[in-house]
Amino acid sequence: MIHGFSIVWSERALLLSGLANTAILSAVAAIASLLLGFALTPALMSRKRAVSRVARALVDGMRCVPFLLFAYIVYYGFPSFGVRLDNWSAGLVALTIYNAAYMAEILRGAWSSMPREPIEAGVAFGFSDVRLFRRIILPPLLLSAGPVIGNQMIQIIKDSAFLTIIALPELTHAASSIQSRYYVPFAAFITAVALYWGLCLVIEAGVNLIGQLAEARR
Amino acid sequence: MTISNPVLNVIGVSKSFGDTEVLSDVSFQVDRGETVCILGPSGSGKSTLLRCINWLERPEAGQIYLNGAPVGVSGAGVVMSDRDLSRIRTRIGMVFQHFALWPHLTVLQNLMEAPVQVQKRPKAESRDQALALLSKVGLVEKRDAFPAKLSGGQKQRVGIARALAMRPDLLLFDEPTSALDPELVGEVLVVMRDLAREGMTMVIVTHEMAFAREVATRVLFLDRGRMVETGSPDRFFAKPETERARQFLQRYAGDTAAGKY
Amino acid sequence: MTGGDIAAFAQGALVTVTLSLAGILLGLPIGLGLALIQWARVPIVARLVALYVSVLRATPLVTLLLLLFFALPNVGVPIDPYSAAILALVMNTSAFNCEIWRSALMNFPKDQYEAAQSVGMRAEQRFRRIVLPQIVRVSLPGLVNEMSLLIKVTPVLAVVGVVDITRAAVRIGAETYEPLPPFLIAVALYAPLVFALVSLQRWIERRQAAAEAAA
Repeated sequence: MIHGFSIVWSERALLLSGLANTAILSAVAAIASLLLGFALTPALMSRKRAVSRVARALVDGMRCVPFLLFAYIVYYGFPSFGVRLDNWSAGLVALTIYNAAYMAEILRGAWSSMPREPIEAGVAFGFSDVRLFRRIILPPLLLSAGPVIGNQMIQIIKDSAFLTIIALPELTHAASSIQSRYYVPFAAFITAVALYWGLCLVIEAGVNLIGQLAEARR
Repeated sequence: MTISNPVLNVIGVSKSFGDTEVLSDVSFQVDRGETVCILGPSGSGKSTLLRCINWLERPEAGQIYLNGAPVGVSGAGVVMSDRDLSRIRTRIGMVFQHFALWPHLTVLQNLMEAPVQVQKRPKAESRDQALALLSKVGLVEKRDAFPAKLSGGQKQRVGIARALAMRPDLLLFDEPTSALDPELVGEVLVVMRDLAREGMTMVIVTHEMAFAREVATRVLFLDRGRMVETGSPDRFFAKPETERARQFLQRYAGDTAAGKY
Repeated sequence: MTGGDIAAFAQGALVTVTLSLAGILLGLPIGLGLALIQWARVPIVARLVALYVSVLRATPLVTLLLLLFFALPNVGVPIDPYSAAILALVMNTSAFNCEIWRSALMNFPKDQYEAAQSVGMRAEQRFRRIVLPQIVRVSLPGLVNEMSLLIKVTPVLAVVGVVDITRAAVRIGAETYEPLPPFLIAVALYAPLVFALVSLQRWIERRQAAAEAAA
């Protein structure tokens, strides 16, 4: 057992690079899906029924598809349309599009539970367009949606592990590779689990911080 | 007394929500230093009229002028761009029924936000002004608190200070005390009365009859979307000319005697 | 698509549904047990449960599955793909269910429990007749949501050789060099299952909201 861990320790560079890849991939996908979600949310809430219906169908539909399958489709299926993506791009695209649907739903929920009057006050005081959005609408929106977005980030990190199937060199893939070369499955995967847990704790700390900021203003 | 350049000129404003006509050809003027109280039963369109003044509601017909400058629809009859509308809104202050303070900013930040961000005034000057205004409404010690931690009366006083921070030509009040517990109403009415005495031009939608009687320079009575009667408060409360006004005042007779503050 | 392919998908669907059911049915009571241990504050054990739940909720299912499948034989416990799959599913879903049950227990109104005590109900009776029915009602939407999430992670079981819908789709795609159609068929098989559970959850939530409004 100790022997196993010493081998893992000697291969720590690979493991850490896997961890870094997981973190970077998840962070980029989270930001991208949040931005994409921001673009989708107005469509979800649009008064034009055709638009909102289509958006609702897309969001609900995406939430009914298993992510692993979606990643397979993006990686193996897109070449059928002449779009060949390498595993990094496919993984990023899959993570982003998939989670954009969830982010859109989260933002819609946060928006509809926000009180309207402070925003109206912003308009009455001469705020408009980008300024209104950036200084009056966005801060309270993010404060109230913070915990849920944080949970979604944890979900993204876990989904990123699925991408080991398309040979993306993230954390689980690194652990697998160490395991298959040295036959130290316990040490390798337990270490990976511990690292995932660490990532999750970091996100939860961030969410707690946002929760405290929100609480002071509640 | 006629002054040729009123601060506010409302001409022929009409507004419908769907099939329901809420305002019907309402016109009035407000001169500098006047305190005009808009009274009327629920559903008479008072709040809608107020909100049409700064185009939070879009009137279907009519024109509105602030110190001669058109609001909402330009002189040529073209609907104003959002940017132009925003610019003129900075000259009209508004106090909301449910306070509408920005929850993610402290009291001081609430007062500084629009002057700095919209009027592009220097931060130091805005801060000094904010502190002076907080002192005026008696809430300097709350400057670093978040709105959620204030009582209703305190929130509304901050709301008034926030509107004053923009140095507006005109102050609109949309039922400023209706959402307050009775014992908190007084502290807000005192601030409003002092503002009126200092010569601030104000248009107030309110149910506080005693306040209107004492502080208003003119009273407008609205009923079912129409301006039914207008005149000095003494005359209106003592000898209403129209039947509708009489009925309305009868219901509120108790309040005028109560003298709430 | 040949008849053999259809048969392969049908068999895969059967495996997916069976494994999902096993995971769901085992995960519910185990999650409740874990939550009760935390609620009763059993010394030491409650702390261990909290740690277990925290780690498991942070661990991707694929990592857990690989850990179990490769590490257990290494320490002398032989395990086949299907058992490893069920074990991983149950461990994962029980951790999430634990949080759902625990939240319901934490928010359980104390005075109801005290009323049960004051009429002389014994502990087991109090739990069975007063606490359990209510926390089931409160937890139901969350638990059904977790069931839909469980089905969505079952494709990963193909990684260790379980022949489910996903494995069938991958195999057919590899054989025909046309990966897209079988994947789309796989989606068409998973989606209704998930959608059925999501609809069930929404229906439960609507009914509960209506009951609350009427009360």
